[in-house]
Amino acid sequence: MKIFWSFTRQAFQFVAAYRFNFFTEIFLILLRMYGVYWVWKILYTQRPGAFGVDLGQMITYGVLGMALEIFMWSRPQMYMSRQVKSGAIDTDLMKPLDFHIHMLARSLGETLVSLGVLAIPALAIAYFVLGVNLPPDVWTGMLFVVSLGLGYLVLFHLNFLLGSLAIVTLDIRHISWAYYSVVRFFGGQMIPLWLFPPFLAWLAAVLPFQSTYFIPMSIYIGNLSGPEAIQAIGFQLVWLVVLVLISRLLWSWAHRRLVVQGG
Amino acid sequence: MNGFQLYFRLIQISLQGHMQYRANFIAGILGLIVWNVINLGLIGILVTQFTSLNNWTLWELVFLYCLWILGHSLYSLFFSHTNQLEDYLIEGTFDQFLLRPASPLIQLLGRELQYNEIADLLIGVTGLSLAYAQLALDWDGWKWSFFIMAVLSGAVIVWATNLLIACSAFWTGRSRGTFIIVSPFYGLVQQYPVDIFGNAFRIIVTSLIPVAFINYYPALFLLDKLDYTSSGWWLSYMSPLVALLLIGIVSRVWHLALRRYTSSGG
Repeated sequence: MKIFWSFTRQAFQFVAAYRFNFFTEIFLILLRMYGVYWVWKILYTQRPGAFGVDLGQMITYGVLGMALEIFMWSRPQMYMSRQVKSGAIDTDLMKPLDFHIHMLARSLGETLVSLGVLAIPALAIAYFVLGVNLPPDVWTGMLFVVSLGLGYLVLFHLNFLLGSLAIVTLDIRHISWAYYSVVRFFGGQMIPLWLFPPFLAWLAAVLPFQSTYFIPMSIYIGNLSGPEAIQAIGFQLVWLVVLVLISRLLWSWAHRRLVVQGG
Repeated sequence: MNGFQLYFRLIQISLQGHMQYRANFIAGILGLIVWNVINLGLIGILVTQFTSLNNWTLWELVFLYCLWILGHSLYSLFFSHTNQLEDYLIEGTFDQFLLRPASPLIQLLGRELQYNEIADLLIGVTGLSLAYAQLALDWDGWKWSFFIMAVLSGAVIVWATNLLIACSAFWTGRSRGTFIIVSPFYGLVQQYPVDIFGNAFRIIVTSLIPVAFINYYPALFLLDKLDYTSSGWWLSYMSPLVALLLIGIVSRVWHLALRRYTSSGG
C-alpha cells in the first residue's frame, strides 16, 4: 500500500509541476460550462419541464458533465503507448509493483490534481455564477460519491484495456478519437440517456459507458433515487468486476507478446 | 520553381512518407468519421426531442456544422502545420527555412499534409448535400457562387487566425496557450448557432476571433434566415471581405515577425 501511494504522489507532483497553466485551464472549463448552460436554457424556454426534469436540474447535469470530464479521464493508455514506443516500458515492468496496480496509482495521482485544482474551483464558480444545484440531501450526496468512485474505476479499466492494445498495435492515437467520442456519447456526458431514441437508449443501457457520467450525475440531480439508484450502483459494480477480470487477462496476454525495442 | 509548385512538391513528399503506414491512414480516417458522426448525433437527438434550437431545425444545424467542417477541412488538409510554428522557434530549427532559397512560409506550410482530414471533407460534402435536399433548398447561380466563396473564405479565416496566433510566438516565445484558449470558441461556433450564447460571445466571435464568419453568418443568408430589420444583417455577406482583410493583416505581421526573428541558437 505504501508503494502504491508513493507512485500516486509521484504522478501528482509531476502533473502539478508541469502539465498545465491554471488560469488557461479554468477559463476553458468555465467557457464550456457557459456553453452548455445556454444550450439547455434555450431548449427549456421552448419547452419547460421537458421529460420530467426542471431547468435547474438539467443545467446542473450539463455543468457537472463538463466538470467530470476534467478529472475522470486519467490517461494510462497514453502513458502505456508512449512507454511501449520508446521502449521504456521494461523499466516499468521491473518496478516492485504489479503493472496494473502501478497504472492505477498513477491515474489516481493525475485525477487528484485535476479534481482538487481544477474541477472543484470551477464548480464553485459555476455554483455562484450559473446557479448549479446542490444534491437534494446528504444521503444522495453520499450515493453520488460512491457511484462517482465506481464510475472512475470503470473508466480507468476501459482506458487500461485500450492501453494494453497499444502493446500490440503500437499506435492508438487515431483509435483514441473514436473511443473518446463513443465513451462520451454512450456515457451521457453531454445528453442524458433519457433523451435517446429507443434503440440507442437500449444500447446505452447495456454498455458499460453509462457508469462513467450518466449514473453518478443522474443520482446527483435526484433523477435516479431510492431502489433505482442502488440498482444502478449494482450495475456499475458488476461491470467493474467484469472489466477488472478482462484487464488482468488481456494484460497478461499482451505482456507475453511484448517486444521491447532498444530500451 | 514557383511557390505553388514548390508547395505541392513538398506536400507530395510528406504524403509518400505517410503512406508507408497504411493501417494508421485508415484508422485515422475512421476515427474522424466516428467523431463527427457522434457530434452530429448529439445535435440530432437534442433537436428531435425539442423540435428546434432557437428556431434552428435539425437540418439547418447539420448545414451549419458541415459548412464549418468543409471550410476547416480545406485548411487542415493543406495548412494545419501552421500550428507547429512554435516548435520550430523554440528548437531553433526555424533557421533551416531561412537558409533555403524559397519562401519560409511555403516551406512551413508544405511540411505536412494532414491526409486524414479527407474524412472531414467527405463528411462536409455529404452533410451539406443531405441538408440541401432535406431543406428543399433551390439556389440560383448567385447563391451558389456565394456558397463557394463562403467555403473558401472559411478556410482562409481559420488559416489566417491560426497563423496570427502562431506568429505571436515570435514575440512571446509561446503560442500554445492561446491556441488552447481559442479552441472552445471554435467548438461552440462549429456546433451551435452563435445567437444562443448571448451578445458578449457574439461580439468575441465576430471581431476578436472572427470564426462566426466561417459558418454562422453565411448560413443565415444561404438558409434564408436573415432578418433584414436587425442591425447587423449585412454581416452575413462579409465573409469574403473578412478573409481578404485577414490576409492583409497576416502578411504584414509575417514580414514584421521575420524581421524580428532571432534564432534561439538550435
